[in-house]
Amino acid sequence: MSMTSRERVLAALNGQAVDRTPICCPTSVATVELMDLVDAPFPDANRQAEPMARLAATAHTILGFDTVMPVFSIIQESSALGCKMQWEGKDNWPTVRMAEPIWEHADDIYVPNDLVDHPDTKCVLDAIKLLREDLGPDVAIIGKTMGPWSLAYHCFGVEKFLLLSLDDPAATKEILEKLKKVTIDFGRAQIEAGVDALTLPDHATGDLVSSEYYHRYLKDLHIEFAQAIPCPLILHICGRTVDRMGFIAETGMAAFHYDSKNGADESMDVVAGRIALVGNINNPETLFAKTPDDVKAEVYANLDAGVQMIGPECAIPLQTSIANLRAIPEAVQDWHARH
Amino acid sequence: MAELTDVQNQTLRDEIEEFLERPEEIERFVELFTRAKPLLQEIAAAIVEGDDDVVDELTARALAEGIEAIEIMDDGLIGGMGIVGIKFRENFVFVPEVLSCARAMRAGMAHIEPILSASGVEKQGTVIMGTVKGDLHDIGKNLCIMMLRGSGFDVIDLGVDVAEDTFIDAVEDSGAKVLGMSALLTTTMPNMGRTIEAFIDADIRDDVLIMVGGAPVTQEFSDDMGADGYGADALSCVAVAKELFAAA
Repeated sequence: MSMTSRERVLAALNGQAVDRTPICCPTSVATVELMDLVDAPFPDANRQAEPMARLAATAHTILGFDTVMPVFSIIQESSALGCKMQWEGKDNWPTVRMAEPIWEHADDIYVPNDLVDHPDTKCVLDAIKLLREDLGPDVAIIGKTMGPWSLAYHCFGVEKFLLLSLDDPAATKEILEKLKKVTIDFGRAQIEAGVDALTLPDHATGDLVSSEYYHRYLKDLHIEFAQAIPCPLILHICGRTVDRMGFIAETGMAAFHYDSKNGADESMDVVAGRIALVGNINNPETLFAKTPDDVKAEVYANLDAGVQMIGPECAIPLQTSIANLRAIPEAVQDWHARH
Repeated sequence: MAELTDVQNQTLRDEIEEFLERPEEIERFVELFTRAKPLLQEIAAAIVEGDDDVVDELTARALAEGIEAIEIMDDGLIGGMGIVGIKFRENFVFVPEVLSCARAMRAGMAHIEPILSASGVEKQGTVIMGTVKGDLHDIGKNLCIMMLRGSGFDVIDLGVDVAEDTFIDAVEDSGAKVLGMSALLTTTMPNMGRTIEAFIDADIRDDVLIMVGGAPVTQEFSDDMGADGYGADALSCVAVAKELFAAA
């Protein structure tokens, strides 16, 4: 029996059987080429619902992925909270000016009740509605709501927040506790707008902090999110994470979006069926700089390991070629034809 | 040859025994701390523990006791950060702990730098450092700069979000022989390659040696884009800079 893209993705997220492995992008496959094809360049596609939806739809209509993701960056909520932004142009990612943090202490935190009505969050909700109208019920729409650890980087500055985490664990926990409202409110608003699942980036990566940190500061919060946000959640953490995947597998989240710094076989062994994996095609070396055959080789390695959903490891470089991105669904089809 | 038991400071002995595995590194640090004055061993131990107040106090005391600033820096501050760098490389500690140790080192350098600047000690050379266009992350770059300065290099820090033209102008204006580029994001790493191409287009690629680094950057990526050196961390950055200056 053939499944629709949406059925396939939801089945994989719920640990059920699929007709073939879904091709997912929990972060972003936006590229300059795709922006040109549908006249939806950055920064408009990050701030206006219509170009945002047009660009997001290309993941399915042009690349052949089973999912679309309208939130290309990780900064919509931070803008709504008042962070100083650098929206950039067509060929660069928008970013938060973390060297100019907006808060110094936990007491400074203010999360407005109407956060989701801010233009940079509302455009996401409107884009989700447009995508559902345009693509119908057969394509999976994934939204994105930032976790409190990543929000703290933006609002307090990375260096200051990391030092605080060492100097004052109680204050750090207070910050995370206060910021979780952002994650829950924006997540629930996207569910109401029509998403099927949510990516929850929370960058407690092994490139920055220990697995003990993940356990101490985030595991319980992530368990709380899995219970408080009523849709499948895909946790995203870049970089080395295999040392904390055991904790992540115990959060109750549906999936973990993992990076190519972690081997597929080793990662599958660690999570041991307790959480689905999504990933982990390398961005900077393979998708950006190599050939479709190289991309396919990485897809096959993931499928051979039993990874439940295939996609790039993270948001891809904007200059990545369409040919390399299309190689992902082609390889999945090839592999299933042979198995 | 000095033995571990020859190191007087208990904290340093424990650190070497517990965290250092490579024989050449054990030998180097045992030799260093056996030779270092007890007070400088204490400074190194306080660096490893990230205690900026103690480093501040002990550095001032060492200078008051007449110990040369350069000796305090080499045997105490840099010596301590050397251990921290190895622990980071081997995943025994992570960025918060390194930042804490760097804060302690800065507390010591606040006493040392003015003295070294006034003394006119000859520098090893000038390095230009910056995070590439579109990337506002600077922790790794700043750690590299601190270690480079501590190792006797002049550093021109271009900051974050540095455009290709800014890198080119800095090289042309300063005549620096080595340039370091950092990126933390896989989405901004390609801007390292673009910057190298811009140097080729400007016909000044041969005027400067380029090293790259940052959490997602690998030796393979560095080689593919045509960089001259790759460093995985701040310790490697200093080693690569020294190699590049030797080759320049």
